[in-house]
Order: sequence, then structure tokens, then C-alpha cells
Amino acid sequence: MITVIQPGLYTTVQDRGRFGFYGVGFPPSGSMDLYSSAVANILVGNPANAAVLETTFVGPTLEFERNGRIAVTGATADITIDGVSIQPWTIVEIKKGQVLAFGGISAGVRNYLAISGGIGVQPVMGSRSTYVASNLGGVEGRALLPGDRLEVLADSESRTNRNRFEIPEYLRVSPMPHHVIRIVPGLCNYLLDPQSQQLLTAETFTVSTEANRTGYRLTGHQLSFIEREQPFGAGSDPSNVVNLGYPVGSLQAPSGTELICLMRDAVTGGGYATLATVISVDLDILAQMKFPETVLFETISMEAALQLRAERGKRLQSLVELIDAVT
Amino acid sequence: MPEIHEIAAPFPGVFYRRAAPGSAPLAEPEQVIAVGHVIALVEVMKMFHEVQSAVAGRITEFCAEDGDAVAMGQIIAKIESQS
Amino acid sequence: MNTYTEFVDGAQASFGGDEFIFVEVATDMDLEATLRVIALTDSVAAAEISGVTDICPAHVSYMLRVDPDIRDPRDLLPILAEIHKQKAKDSKLTIGSRIIEMPILYQDPWSHEVLMRFRDRHQDPTSTDLDYCSRINGFSSAPEFIHAHSSRLHIATFVGFMPGNAECYQLVPSEMQLQAPKYVRPRTDTPDRALGFGGAFSTIYPVQGAGGFQLLGRCAAPVYETKKPFGPFEHSTVLPKGGDIFQYRSIEMAEYEDIRSRVEAGTYQYRIGILEFDLSQFREDPTGYPLTLVEALP
Repeated sequence: MITVIQPGLYTTVQDRGRFGFYGVGFPPSGSMDLYSSAVANILVGNPANAAVLETTFVGPTLEFERNGRIAVTGATADITIDGVSIQPWTIVEIKKGQVLAFGGISAGVRNYLAISGGIGVQPVMGSRSTYVASNLGGVEGRALLPGDRLEVLADSESRTNRNRFEIPEYLRVSPMPHHVIRIVPGLCNYLLDPQSQQLLTAETFTVSTEANRTGYRLTGHQLSFIEREQPFGAGSDPSNVVNLGYPVGSLQAPSGTELICLMRDAVTGGGYATLATVISVDLDILAQMKFPETVLFETISMEAALQLRAERGKRLQSLVELIDAVT
Repeated sequence: MPEIHEIAAPFPGVFYRRAAPGSAPLAEPEQVIAVGHVIALVEVMKMFHEVQSAVAGRITEFCAEDGDAVAMGQIIAKIESQS
Repeated sequence: MNTYTEFVDGAQASFGGDEFIFVEVATDMDLEATLRVIALTDSVAAAEISGVTDICPAHVSYMLRVDPDIRDPRDLLPILAEIHKQKAKDSKLTIGSRIIEMPILYQDPWSHEVLMRFRDRHQDPTSTDLDYCSRINGFSSAPEFIHAHSSRLHIATFVGFMPGNAECYQLVPSEMQLQAPKYVRPRTDTPDRALGFGGAFSTIYPVQGAGGFQLLGRCAAPVYETKKPFGPFEHSTVLPKGGDIFQYRSIEMAEYEDIRSRVEAGTYQYRIGILEFDLSQFREDPTGYPLTLVEALP
């Protein structure tokens, strides 16, 4: 068991997400930065789909009731055990009765805390991920509160000498104030006028303060849509379409005034034209960005998007091999 | 020797000195406070974070106005402690 | 680099990043396109394509979620092209469906309280949502509008947005199609189970929250249930599926309260019938054909 002394700003239980229910209105949820979350699980020897804690800006203070291994990845944060600083991106032993505390962060947004065995909340529809809008998964379908007690599953890892490994720099993420975010054009992109199509990838956009697990609003440039007779049932604004499905990572521009990138807890569909989709690898990067950081969207091919995804998979695999080699 | 401690905004958001509109400020300049005293709130996406003082001492100034947008790391208050 | 792939039936496919395929069958709301989407996505489901994790039909488009670590999404385009080709030959537009009775208390006090709180966001602040909908659709009184809305069936043409939400299109001759704009600015509150109407669509709000549809009443039975897995919620937390046909039966307060207590006790039994919906028969007789569907109710 782990007791939540302070919950932090918005700390939720997440795994890789919920599959198979998108068609009836359930977004996948899951870790916003899947790479960091996967690394944390690999470090402590958890299965890939083990549940972790995802923090937002201000992390929690937690008391551990049994010995175990932990790993913290993601944002750059000050972390302590009983007041003594510990390193992120490595394996740390924690003992019964010790208190883990997150201090301020200096880069990024979200930390991932994996605990050997994984968080043991009851899975809902095949996932432990919290989806707050429908009060589903995690701890009672909500963010952590003071006094919550989290069950930790039995540790399946047999090797005990994992605590020497520190992850090399090139396998960590380093959140920066500006990132190139790659997109695949498609969906209703043809409804943007040609100038706006160019503008989308030629100018930088700024992450606004309205950015959370549901969506990221980005400000910067007015986009305009081609003039057409609005389809029956679409609504009167040129950015309106007959309600359609929204991919995770898709960009839309209601009335052209600002961009919204839909994240893992987004609605599954709606009536705004979707313009392009952020590739899965870069959605992890966007998830660590905040106001007033900036992005430049870059169009890439499906082939390149799949290659980048495969490379992310290889990085994670090389990490498993590195750990196997030293332990 | 008195020492000045700066308190920074933990994330980008809106700075509030009151727990609710119309209520008294959580802390006033010149007030002497204990460790853990909540001096202000920072809000983002309707999530409120209590900004606590990590030291005991006297609040010398607030560096942001009630309702201001603040950046992460921006200094929002200064506290003079005796060490 | 070709962003779009066109299938033989005119549908247009593109990728939503590395995990999604989006197929636009039509751009205008059209019942025929909806049924084609249902038939196409049923075929995709029946094909049990490895790597496809989610199949998401909408009004006139659909979306697939693919796990690229299992299957290259580009491999799916020829498979989808073949399914579209097969279905294009198929002139018979029939889908397997259900008819479900939803007991509605029109003009209920809870929706009324909420809609009065948000008059400043409405097109007609001095009226109620029901009176406004009645007037703009040419009815002289709210009961006439309620009769038009509740005496004819509605088909779920888009299930999604949030869990349990289903936008339903009324099965009536086109000259009888009711319409209403959404609120000028969305409300920040709506009672759960409220019956909303916007554009040409009706929906029952699964949970309390924001919303922009005109509020007509409140359903006594839930469409989303996570805590008590009774009846249809034994196997799914959401009631509606794409293509389901709903009968909104107008009820009085006494029956509403009776159904509420049975829902609370987990003993309420939804009236659900299994049927086939045939578009060509509906086209031939849009007034009479839906009446025959009601017979499928137990």
C-alpha cells in the first residue's frame, strides 16, 4: 500500500490506455507521455502495461508501506525520499515507512512514477487508466486526494540487483521551450484554404494556459476555410462539418481562431473539421509542453511517421537490453 | 542575519491572493507566518494549488497582483526569515 | 505524396497520424450514407482484421484505430477498398438493429430549471426551449410539437462524443423533419438524462454537464450506467449502439417516478426488440414503414 499524504495538483493512475471502446464514446486515456511512462516501467521491471502515477506540474507526497523499487521519469523535477534528493531516470530502492516527495519542476509538465509491481487499482474495461470526465478507472474515476490508499501489485521481477543502472542521456526525454511537432495531413484538411494550409506549417503556435489531458489550445494565427455551401446538418460556420470521429492527436480550428490538439481524454467526435494529426511519437513531446512554449508543425509522410514510431520501439527495446546487460 | 526567500509560481496560471472572491487575503505584506502557511493560490484549468511558504518569517512583498497571469518560476512573493 | 485515397464508391480515405484511418463516405447528412457507414463498418468488424483496435462509425464517415506495432495501417487501404467495392455492388441497404423504448417526461421540472438559468445564452430569452422549438417548426403549441417528436421513431446515426451519447435522426418524410439551432452559447450545465434537440438530432445526455442542444424533457431510464450493471448494462456501460432505433414514449410524472424507483432498485426492464431496418422500404413508405418496426417491441 501507498498512502497519499499530498496528492499534488492533478495526479492520476494511468497505463497504456483503454482499447476497443472508442466507437461508443470512450477515449483511450492512458499516459500522456507514453515514452516516459514506458521507460519508468522498464526500469523497475514491470510489464509494459503496468499502471503508473502521472503528475501535473506539482507532484504528490507519498508514504510507502512496503519495500520496493521506484523510477521517476518525464518532466525535470526535484524529488526526495525522506528529504534526501534522488535521481530521476534511474532505479531507486524505497523502504517501508519512507516518504517520497515531489518538489517543483524546472522543465516539462508531467512526471511518471512507476513502482515495482505496478499500481493495483481495479481495471475498468480492460484498463486501469483514469478517465475523469466519466468517473472511470483509477481511484474512483478521479485524481488522487489526500488520504487515498493505493494498492501495489506483487512484484513479478526476480532480479534484485537492478539498482545500479542509470539510464543514458540519449534515452531520456528533455522537454524544451520550443519543439518541432510532426503532423500527417489528411482528414478534412481539404477544407482549409491553401494559404492557411501553408500557414499551419510555416508559422509557430504558442501553447496556451488551456492545455490539459483533454486538449491543448494553441494560439498564433487565424486560419481560414474555403468558401462552400455548408453541407446539410453541418452547422453554419465554415469550420463546421457533420459530426465525425476525432483521432487522438488531431488538430482542429473552431472558427479558425485558435488550434486545438485533442489529447488522450478528448471527446471521440464532434462537428469541427479536423485538419491533420500529430504523430504518436510527437504527442509525447507535446504532452510535456506548457504556456507560453512554442511549436512549429512540420508535415511528414505516413512512412516517416511509422519509421519514427518503430525507432521509439527500438529505443525502448535497447533499454531493456542495456538493463539486462548490467544486472 | 535576515535572509530573503523568494517564492516562485510552480506552474503557469492565474495568481490569486484570496481563497474566494470577496474573502480576506490569505496573507498580507508584513505578516509574520509559519512554515507551511498558505500565502496565495495559483490556478490552471480550474485546478487550484495552494502556495505554501517553505520558511517562517515576515512577508516583505507580493510581486504579482490578484488575478495576474504568472509564468512558471515567476517570483510571486518574498519572505524575510531569521537564520 | 497522396494525402487522400478514393474508393470506387467515392468514399475518401486518409490517415489520422500513425494510428487512425478516417473514411468520409459523404459530407451531407443523409440516411443512406449513414446506413452505408453502418454496413461498411459491420463488414470491417466481421473481417476481424488484426491490429484494428477500434471501429468508430459516425453519421456519414467512419474511423478505425490501428495498432501500428501489430499492423501497418497502410496495409488496410486495399482491404477497405475491397470492402467498399463489395458494398457498392450491394444495392440492398439493410442493417440489423434494435428498437428501444425510452420513457420521456417532456417539459420536466429539472430541465426547465436549468434552461431558465441560461436564458441569456438562448436565441429567444423570453420563451422556453420547447415553446421556441414548437414555434420555429410551425406548431401552435408545445403539445403538438411533443406529439410530432414522440410519435415517430428516431435512429442513432452517431454514437460517440462521450460515453453513452447517441445523436438520433427522426424517421419521417423529409417535409416532416424537425429542426432547431443549438444555443447561441453552450450552457455550462445540463441534467443527466435530459432529452436534447439540436440541428436535426435528438440525444439523451448520458451525464450531467455542459451542452448546447435545446432541452425538451428528461428520460426516466439511463443511457450510461457504471455503478449498477442491470439489464443492458450487464455487458456494456453504454446503452446505445449505432443504428439503434428509439421510441421516445411521452410519460407523466407518476410513471416517471415509478420507473426511477425501479431503475434505482436495478429492476427496471428496458423494452428492447430486435429487427432489420430496410432503407428502401423506408424510402417507399416513410410514414407507414416505421410503424411496422414498432411491432418488434416485446
